[in-house]
Amino acid sequence: MFIGRKFNSLILSSLRCNLENSFQFYSVFPPNYIKPIYKKDEQEALYQEETELKQFSHSPVQPAKTNNTCSEFHDELIRKFTNYIMRKGDKKMARKILDETFENIKIKKLNEYYNTPPEYRENIILDPKVIFYQAVENCTPVLELQKISRGGIAYQVPIPMNENRAQFLSMNWIIRTAQNKGNAEKLSDVLAKEIIDAAKNQGRVIKKKYDLHKQCEANRAYAHYRWL
Amino acid sequence: MTVLIFTRFTKMRNLMNIDNFGTVRGLLNIIQRSDVISKSYSTDAIQQIISDKPDKFSERKINKAMKVYLERSREYKQFMEKQIAEYNIGKRHLAKIMGEDPDNFTEADIDRAITYLFPSGLYDKQAKPMMIDPTKMYETRKEAEFDEAGRPHHFLFYTLNPNYYEVLHEIVGSLNRLDKIEDQMLAKKIQPSSQDKLDIVESQWIGKPELEKILGEEIKDKDFEYFIKSMDRLIQHPVSKHAESFIMKFRKKLLFINQHLVVPKPEYDSDNRPFILVEKCARKNARGQVKVIGNGSGKITINGQDITSFNDIQCREQSLRSQSRDNAYKKLDSSSVLIESSDRTTGS
Amino acid sequence: MMSYTYSLFSRMCLRNGRRTIITAATKDVPDTNIPWFRISESNPAELDENCLTRIYTIPSDITASLMSNMTLELRKQTEVFRELGILVRRPSVEIISYLEQTDFTKSINKYILYGIQGAGKTTSLLQLIHYGIVKRYFVLHLPWVQTWFRYPRDAVVSPLEPDKIDLPESATKWLKYIKEINKVALSQLDLKTTKEYTWSQREITKSGESLSNLIEFGIQRNKFACGVINALVDELKMASTAAKCRTLVIIDGFNAFTSSITHVKDENHAYVPPERISITSTFLSSVDYNWCNGAAILTVDKKANKDRKDSDYPTYLLGKKGFELLDPFLPICVENYSLDEFKTILEYYKDRKWIKNISDKGQRELELLSNKNPYQLWALCKPLY
Repeated sequence: MFIGRKFNSLILSSLRCNLENSFQFYSVFPPNYIKPIYKKDEQEALYQEETELKQFSHSPVQPAKTNNTCSEFHDELIRKFTNYIMRKGDKKMARKILDETFENIKIKKLNEYYNTPPEYRENIILDPKVIFYQAVENCTPVLELQKISRGGIAYQVPIPMNENRAQFLSMNWIIRTAQNKGNAEKLSDVLAKEIIDAAKNQGRVIKKKYDLHKQCEANRAYAHYRWL
Repeated sequence: MTVLIFTRFTKMRNLMNIDNFGTVRGLLNIIQRSDVISKSYSTDAIQQIISDKPDKFSERKINKAMKVYLERSREYKQFMEKQIAEYNIGKRHLAKIMGEDPDNFTEADIDRAITYLFPSGLYDKQAKPMMIDPTKMYETRKEAEFDEAGRPHHFLFYTLNPNYYEVLHEIVGSLNRLDKIEDQMLAKKIQPSSQDKLDIVESQWIGKPELEKILGEEIKDKDFEYFIKSMDRLIQHPVSKHAESFIMKFRKKLLFINQHLVVPKPEYDSDNRPFILVEKCARKNARGQVKVIGNGSGKITINGQDITSFNDIQCREQSLRSQSRDNAYKKLDSSSVLIESSDRTTGS
Repeated sequence: MMSYTYSLFSRMCLRNGRRTIITAATKDVPDTNIPWFRISESNPAELDENCLTRIYTIPSDITASLMSNMTLELRKQTEVFRELGILVRRPSVEIISYLEQTDFTKSINKYILYGIQGAGKTTSLLQLIHYGIVKRYFVLHLPWVQTWFRYPRDAVVSPLEPDKIDLPESATKWLKYIKEINKVALSQLDLKTTKEYTWSQREITKSGESLSNLIEFGIQRNKFACGVINALVDELKMASTAAKCRTLVIIDGFNAFTSSITHVKDENHAYVPPERISITSTFLSSVDYNWCNGAAILTVDKKANKDRKDSDYPTYLLGKKGFELLDPFLPICVENYSLDEFKTILEYYKDRKWIKNISDKGQRELELLSNKNPYQLWALCKPLY
């Protein structure tokens, strides 16, 4: 892994396609540039460990992205989610939709809170961030189907996934199912409903995940095609 | 006329100064390498040996390949001398043309003079007129790697990459030495600690081109990979600090980030408050300036208006970033002015 | 929702009552069951300087009648928080104190609230409406004029004034609203028409008919609704001058009447100036100086007119005509929150479970990001918890 990386820093992009073990870089910066640490608690943790600190003080650092701040209201997963909502680079609109979605979640949850008898009120979660995390976690698939052709026939083979990809799929599904509902309602309203449903393990996105898992289970017999 | 004789008996071989390779070569159509010496002989040579004449070496005929090699090397030397002489004289002429001191005419001066006298619109730097020290321009050829008898100087000459394999040899030697040192330490009941291990955080392996430069010969990718793996192995030895000088030859030191950090000094305005004015702040096509004033209360002014002139939350968050450490919120004021912008972007 | 707030309110009252009985001998101990940022007092007449930077709640029945004509965001807030809690701020307290001290025999006083967008002008007006209702004034509240002028769907030529344009449906809706918020006043005060109004050949409102009948007529007969409004305003002015009732004219976004163009189109599909709309003259006359025993509280806002967007100050926004009409008036500035008010609002949100875990640093950040502007703060707190 390390050697492969080393090579790609030496050998220029013209040779990238020829190498078998090549890593595709999307970044403007070469691989020795490390990601910036902008959160205050992470920075504090860095000072505790000497070796880490030394490494960081000797490597060049990438500049921080504009939507990353060290404020306590910033959350990585939520920023990622806004990026997935964004179309044509319109970050403002994406952020607006997300804010409205969270507001709608809060309103719905508060209504629920007032409608339940006082004994059961403590169990209701009002924090949209927590609900969102739960929803994403509930929707992350474990396996996905990949088309592998053997002997001229393409089989759908279940293969395990990267964590990153699983998380991406979960968030993407939520957004796409909300968008597919049509233009009658606002996206922020539909998204709020979807997220609340997903957090409760109900709704269309969860169904999609279960369908996928069922398909994977059904195609269990072809699993070995991955290596054949 | 050369006659090739093949004989098995070593005594006869030594007497008659025959090498068996000649016959084999003839049979199998082997092509001769220029740096390999073949001992073919002539009838004259046999006569010489049999007659047991003294002083063989002085009258020994040099083989053609050897002769060609020596010729070439002599030519190269002459050529280089000529070029260097021309270069030096040319340098002095150039200095005189430019009206500068010929003795202190540096390479930077030469470059400047050439770009001035021969302006070129070409993009490729290699295609432009240049005047460079011949030693840098022409590849250095290696000196004769073998003496007159044809015996190579380097003990690993026949590996064709002697310097590279010497380094590998050295690695193994170091490993053995380090093992011995470790054994000694353990005998004295001292455990090797982290102090004895080499600290590699502040440095990085050199790349393939740099290694080639150090060694003076071309090496393959696979060989380079192997070299790095072996060196890693060496570093991981518990007492690797004892081999530091060797290892550091192949490591380049990384810059400490704060080394070249220039912290601007605050100036003081009429109210005796420290401030720093940064001009030419850029974002896309917009240009502006930012002034951060100390001893303040966290007030932010943008183009004379407050922060709500930004409709986008992200822009506001960014303008807060400068103040986002601890108590800085309460102590700094900042005011920024957009000077020019060619499109709709806000100069955040 | 209503029952919950009502029971909370009654609980608060009872608690208050119990305390005063128990501590009758000693001096009045402040009620510790109610959080520090609230006031149990809900009579706006009693709210004075001591109650500043605290939140008072408007009773739910009045809230219900006000709901349809609040700003969108405030309406949302009321629905979510299950109550209408308004911060007691200097501008409204000031106006209330003036109203208490006015000499009602003289011609009416005019107060103009101005301020940057989102500073809290409309919300201050709500407190004044509540005051008017409690004091049994006849409250003529015109919510946001621009809704009439900007999204007109029902512009027709007026049957009563041929060269002017009517907005019958909007007028009917407004009459219903007026009836709703003034039902106490209408039932208790005996207000009668003084003239006869002829609407058409067969429809006549005789003099001596009660004003509630007049309003009913207007609601039933869309066509003449604007005429009814005109009649109503005239009657109220006369009634106030005759000391039969006290009228409080509250208009939000008054500078729409004095702007030079509106979005209303006439038959030729050209935009008309406000003068050509029948209701304009009605309300311009309502703030005239030729009546007494009343008050006019107006707001001016950049958003209320199509042109003139450069400044927030009343003289600029009213234009020459408006200024001459209203001069002399008392301008009152509504500013962004002070630090105390800001803290109160955040506490209130926390109490209503709208936000929860915001540290000091976060609070400071919100302060800077919103610049303590009420609307911006609300917008920022929406996605947070």
